[in-house]
Amino acid sequence: MQNDKGGADDAAEYKKIGFMCGLEIHQRLATATKLFCSCPTAIPEQAEKPLQTVYRYQRAVAGELGDIDRSAEFEELRNRKFVYEVHDRNACLVELDEEPPHELNNEALMVALAFAKAMKMRVVDELQPMRKEVVDGSDPSAFQRTMMVGLDGRISTGGYEISIPSMFLEEESCGIVSSTEDTITYDTGRLGIPLVEIDTDPYIPTPKAAKMIALYLGTMLRISGVVQRGIGSIRQDVNVSIRGGARVEIKGLQDLDRLDKFIENEVLRQQRLLEIKDALVGARASVGEPADITDIMNGSKVRIVASHLEKGGVALAFGLKGFAGLLGREVNPQRRLGTEISDYAKMARVNGIIHTDEDMKAYGFEASDLARIRHRVGAGEGDSLVIVAGARADAERAAKLAAERAKYALVGVPLETRGAINSDLCVTRFLRPLPSGSRMYPETDAKPVLVSAQMIKAASENAPDIERERKWLESKVHGKAVAEQLLLSPKLQMYKNIVKSAGADSEFVANILVQKFTELRRGGYEVEAIDEGRLAAMFSAYGAGRITKQGVDELLKEMAKGEAGVDDLIESKGLARISGVKLRGLVESARGKAGAGAGVDQLRGEIMSRHRLNVDGAELNAMLSDLAKGAK
Amino acid sequence: MYSEDITKAMASGGIAVGDTVSVKGGNISVEGELMPKTEAGNDGTLIIKLKSGYNIGIVFGEGVSISRVSARSAPAAFPFTKPKANTRLPNVTVLWTGGTIGSKIDYRTGGVYMTVKPEELLYYVPELSGIANISINHLFGTSSEDLTHLEWQKIAEETAKAINGGARGVVITHGTDTMHYTASALGFMLKNLNAPVVLTGSQRSSDRGSSDAFLNLTCAMHLAAKSDVAEVGICMHASSSDDRLSFIRGVKARKMHTSRRDAFRPINDRPLAMVRHNGDISYTNQYRRVAQGRSPEVEVSGKFEPKVALIKAYPGSEPGVIDYYTGKGYRGIIIEGTGLGHTPVSIEHEGRSWLPYIKRAVDGGAVVGMTSQCLYGRVHRNVYKNLRLLSNAGVVYCEDMLPETAYVKLGWLLGNYSGDRAAELLCRNVAGEINERVSIDEFLD
Repeated sequence: MQNDKGGADDAAEYKKIGFMCGLEIHQRLATATKLFCSCPTAIPEQAEKPLQTVYRYQRAVAGELGDIDRSAEFEELRNRKFVYEVHDRNACLVELDEEPPHELNNEALMVALAFAKAMKMRVVDELQPMRKEVVDGSDPSAFQRTMMVGLDGRISTGGYEISIPSMFLEEESCGIVSSTEDTITYDTGRLGIPLVEIDTDPYIPTPKAAKMIALYLGTMLRISGVVQRGIGSIRQDVNVSIRGGARVEIKGLQDLDRLDKFIENEVLRQQRLLEIKDALVGARASVGEPADITDIMNGSKVRIVASHLEKGGVALAFGLKGFAGLLGREVNPQRRLGTEISDYAKMARVNGIIHTDEDMKAYGFEASDLARIRHRVGAGEGDSLVIVAGARADAERAAKLAAERAKYALVGVPLETRGAINSDLCVTRFLRPLPSGSRMYPETDAKPVLVSAQMIKAASENAPDIERERKWLESKVHGKAVAEQLLLSPKLQMYKNIVKSAGADSEFVANILVQKFTELRRGGYEVEAIDEGRLAAMFSAYGAGRITKQGVDELLKEMAKGEAGVDDLIESKGLARISGVKLRGLVESARGKAGAGAGVDQLRGEIMSRHRLNVDGAELNAMLSDLAKGAK
Repeated sequence: MYSEDITKAMASGGIAVGDTVSVKGGNISVEGELMPKTEAGNDGTLIIKLKSGYNIGIVFGEGVSISRVSARSAPAAFPFTKPKANTRLPNVTVLWTGGTIGSKIDYRTGGVYMTVKPEELLYYVPELSGIANISINHLFGTSSEDLTHLEWQKIAEETAKAINGGARGVVITHGTDTMHYTASALGFMLKNLNAPVVLTGSQRSSDRGSSDAFLNLTCAMHLAAKSDVAEVGICMHASSSDDRLSFIRGVKARKMHTSRRDAFRPINDRPLAMVRHNGDISYTNQYRRVAQGRSPEVEVSGKFEPKVALIKAYPGSEPGVIDYYTGKGYRGIIIEGTGLGHTPVSIEHEGRSWLPYIKRAVDGGAVVGMTSQCLYGRVHRNVYKNLRLLSNAGVVYCEDMLPETAYVKLGWLLGNYSGDRAAELLCRNVAGEINERVSIDEFLD
């Protein structure tokens, strides 16, 4: 299934395997304040020391139907301590779950309504704030405030007509600062920033289409001009399944360019797991109960086990019948069934598992010990073993989780939330079971909001319109390709700001931001690190005739190297433009040196060889041609 | 309650709240579960729970129709955990009185109700069973703002009964708003107390994963099961973190924040003890100890005069409020004065001086006590002339006692003693409510 075709053939192939795919786009809004309190939404610099830290424990509580959500229970199993860093200006008692929410932020609501209208949605008459349970600690209240804003929308792009069944306005969660086995430290700065979530239907036909739709929605959000920009301000979660497989949600995709690769790999993973399932069922495979093997492993040379036993820990093992060769079977690039099982064990704070499809000798296992372990767990000669070690409680839970996951290999693909591993491999790892539906209840601390006809009217007027934006861009930029690239680029808003403020030629600015940036980036210059303020100053300098086009190129290279300001660099790098009287002086002096018979080309060459960055070619040409006319 | 139009439509369609319904004809057509209407929002809006779990509101306007798709399903039974008897552990009785800690959300409506069954808490906090052999006595499920001296008396009686019946300690779950009033009342009412009596509550209801109820209950249980404090106190978070909890003498405790976990602070006092989340107790103040060997039974001196008022003096305040109360037969008034214990006394602003009103009340036999709205520090009858005027008029200066404690104490004194004796005892320490010495570190943090 991994090919580069994006057309109808591809769609037919994916249809054959029962491919289902939907997107959830989360976008932070650039409102003045947070969704339910008056803290600003600007995120503090990482370097700033927190004013205070607060720590809490959370536990799974029974949901609406009296049962504890499996994913919530799973998080609690890890029994972790959550530390919250509090920065003075960016979090108040509301974020810390020490004060009830304030009124809903109307600015955020209006932005969300505008998006709903842009996607032709039906807006909910009266918004009902809800609490969605979260037990990974990313919200000190253990729930996220969220409300459905619109239903039944649709978008069309690239020949695809996609339904948008729902859109939500909700609170952003905390950002992770650091994480250890038993403690997660969160930054409360971004907690509560308004976020819109846009869900597509699950009928996106191909991975490539998913990427295209994600790009389209990202563009629509961006051209509104009221969304945050930068890393993490937009997130795309993808739901994928194939026939016989199961719905898997992939979170944490940072690079839209590789969205399709991640989806292709998830399809591959599900296919491989189904193949493994068939092989296991055919072999009448089974998984045994974990047993304590600490006495066997005492004094063992297996370092990764011995290190736990020395600290008073235990080792456990269970046997797997019919798994030989399959534990080591690759389900994704550099990920095996054993890796999948290991990820479950790691949830119980162990370092992972050891299994017999690995090189047991290299670990330091003696054949006699393995025989004794087999005997202990009731496994036969050809059966596989899984071994875990750690503190008793952890190891017991880890063995139980690993055995459960191994058993599920006979059923097929587990419903999971998986996290993207952001490397070139484009693969994912298990995060937690997919949450069931029973973790939502009304947020009675916040009032329902009746949406008036006036609000709808204002929202329709402010709805971002990609076509209108495209037309506007094409009126500013003649090169259609550049205009289109700019439309889809995260730099669009910056472009608009600069064109408005800097007084530089709009075509020139577009070319620099799109083409020149690409060229310099490929040349190894970190141009993306140049902030908008410095770019605007550079274009102003250009617009005011203080630097030349070549000077702009040079200035970009210099700015990419550090934090230096535009004026300082023009001065220190000698980039100030030479024009008018000064340029005439240069021409005169060159002519004096070269003699009266020197031609225009010779003079131009002479001057440009010394002042390439400072002299505008067109101005020099005009001056030289006047001179030539005068000489005639 | 839904509007009349909706109620009618429901009746004619045989629809009950909780049924799956189909709503058509409006801006939005959906199928989902009909939710009950809470006080929030417009009564003409249908609240529908979608399959996703989200509720949406659909205005029941022109052309909108609602019909029943299927009847509601019975909610799943809650997995109760019965307390396990473990005779090796100390016996602790839990008295259940309601409040946030005793309430849970109705997930369907979102309303917080006092419906939590004590056993549910053991399901949420199973570790309690490992600390003590617990018996739970469900007294009432009341918000603390609705409690009166009648409930204080009942709690005092049940506490005495539990201890006399062999409980090593008592935990009382209580709404936080007036927990310090109840704690004070118990402090005065329980005689020969020979066991820890620990009030606890929560600022976040126990249906949320972040609730402080879990830790508060656990630490309160540790205190009741292990500590040798023979006093009534409040055990709640000492900081915003799930770190240490403080055990504060009930008569010196006050709720100092509307919503924070660490709302309770000792005023003009130190906590009696600090309890870590692992159950370690460290003592931080002088306290009455549990006597070893046989001790007399706990008695309840529960009489209470409800005709006692707590009023506040402030710039421009109306002194006629004193006449109002004495006119209604009130026998005691505690004033929360300004600073060292002032009320307006100037004759320049006609009718604004409290002096003649106070004098009249005292002459009529009422006991008038003075506390300070500063809360921290001691009132004084001599520093200023205006203080001397009030004192001469017969106002009893209540030392470093909290206004709420003074109010409870005066009600209790007047219930058990003559007016003159009550006036005498009001400014003398009876149950730890007055500290002769306040040290420099007993002020905020």
